[in-house]
Amino acid sequence: MNTIEKILKNHSIDKPQEVSPGDIVTVNVDKAIIVDMAALHPEFINNPPIKPFDKDKIAIIFDHFVPAPNIEIANRVDKLRKLARLWNITDFYDIGRGGISHVLSSEKGWLKPGSIIANTDSHTISTGAFNVLGRGLGTPELMGIIATGKTWFMVGNTININFENKLPEKSSAKDIFFKMVEQIGDIPNDNIEFHGEGIKYLDMDQRSSISTMCAEMSAEFAIFPFDGILSNYLEAHSIHNVNPIYPDNDAIYSKTYDMDLNEIEPMVAFPDRIINNVKPVSEIGKIEINSAIVGSCANGRLSDLKDIAMVLKNKKVNRNVRFIVTPATMDIYNEALRLGYISDIVESGAIVTNPTCGACLGGHMGVSSENDVVISSTTRNFKGRMGSPASKIYLGSSRTVALSAVNGYISGE
Amino acid sequence: MDIFQVSDMKEIRGKVWKFGDDINTDLMYPQICYTLKEEEKPYYAMSANRPGWSKLVKKGDIIVAGKNFGTGSSRPAADNLKNLGIACVLAESINGLFLRNSVNSGLLSLGVPGISGRVNEEDIVKINMEDNTITINNDTIKFTPLPDFLMEIIENGGIINILKNKKLLGNPL
Ligand code: SF4
Repeated sequence: MNTIEKILKNHSIDKPQEVSPGDIVTVNVDKAIIVDMAALHPEFINNPPIKPFDKDKIAIIFDHFVPAPNIEIANRVDKLRKLARLWNITDFYDIGRGGISHVLSSEKGWLKPGSIIANTDSHTISTGAFNVLGRGLGTPELMGIIATGKTWFMVGNTININFENKLPEKSSAKDIFFKMVEQIGDIPNDNIEFHGEGIKYLDMDQRSSISTMCAEMSAEFAIFPFDGILSNYLEAHSIHNVNPIYPDNDAIYSKTYDMDLNEIEPMVAFPDRIINNVKPVSEIGKIEINSAIVGSCANGRLSDLKDIAMVLKNKKVNRNVRFIVTPATMDIYNEALRLGYISDIVESGAIVTNPTCGACLGGHMGVSSENDVVISSTTRNFKGRMGSPASKIYLGSSRTVALSAVNGYISGE
Repeated sequence: MDIFQVSDMKEIRGKVWKFGDDINTDLMYPQICYTLKEEEKPYYAMSANRPGWSKLVKKGDIIVAGKNFGTGSSRPAADNLKNLGIACVLAESINGLFLRNSVNSGLLSLGVPGISGRVNEEDIVKINMEDNTITINNDTIKFTPLPDFLMEIIENGGIINILKNKKLLGNPL
């Protein structure tokens, strides 16, 4: 069995000897995460689960709308506060204490290698960086999991992606993902396992950026192996007693792709979709932008803030550009303050918001107008995703966004 | 949605609306929907990519689409299609999260490789749930049915009804 099959097997309530593609397994969930968006689902507010299967396995996190942008949302999310009190939830992260659920999960030690996480948000596949299976689910399905602690998965085919060599200085993890999409396209219901020598050059932020973005290929799970880098991260966050999962020697993969990371250059996704829509920045000519966004579960991490601080130090954001930067969590925000990244960013003329999903979902903190041409390091560029359907959203790495913000047009170096 | 409904779905027959590849959840359920009244939400479905379409949909119509239908977020996108009257989604392939959400909302969605090349807009499509075939004019395509436990959720009108029946849900917050 491969890593994904083994984790599913280990969690299966039927205790099978083996699982393979096509099987359907009912599994125990190790942690169920509810984000503020759940409060916007009428069923959750009208018919919440009576009680959680295990209150310590439930987390409630405010991230999409922090702080609440209007009365309706303020009232709705307030009901979640009530629920957190009612259920006596310890892992409740309100404004000022947490951040984007996927990033916060890794800081809080909930992503123990070999475990299964359910979350009301679609980028839960991000957990794969930690040798963890995570699935984004609709709110009604999460309500079932809160009540029972269980859900089901269909075991899918797994492709193997081998990373070789080291990424050039000028390129980022996001560029690796765009190159993967160019090569592979979408793979609904299939899984990804990453292997290869090149992994040892990727830190946890880079791995997380890649695994998070795999939602955009419609992958079911996208998992990295357990190694020294992950082990060091867990130690540094006081997470002990982990049970990492490795593939068997005879593990089956439906296909293998090799990627030479050394050949990857800065890439950009053109508006409206990522699939079949990426190009190297070196080949796109001069595309002027007026809005630049850095943030999200994929790219609001400390290394993103460092990358853009290095670009912005002693420079000014182009006068035709608005640049909004959103750290993913309070810990990242604080650390970036301590390291001086925030002042480098703000002194350049960019603004730094509090941790939230914000502009990524067009909810607040940077909603795009019909005339906006946006370069963003967030996750999605669907038509209308960040505001007006007439706005054009290009996606790139945080470094590309910062360079573009300075130059006024999309730039990779 | 509040009424407990068990429909015995033997055959679904409807007129086709065609869509391309990678139709995403944000097109079906734009961010603005979150705070609209329930009855207004469905009319924003596909307003960015196909303005005016939602008003033309009749109860029982069917969507036929290309690859990777429903890519995107966990938002209740399937609810918007269902509440517009869409009886079924047939697509070359379906995003795993959308499929779950669709089932959990009581909307039948089926991945049927080859379907989009064999169906035109406004064709009448007949889906036979007993022998797992789709008939368009004189053409017949076999499909792989959803597992029984998922069909049971659809036949119950979605997972909320099932959770209610099991007395797992409580009073409004
Ligand atoms: S940052 Fe964007 S993609 Fe990530 S959880 Fe928030 S809204 Fe979703």
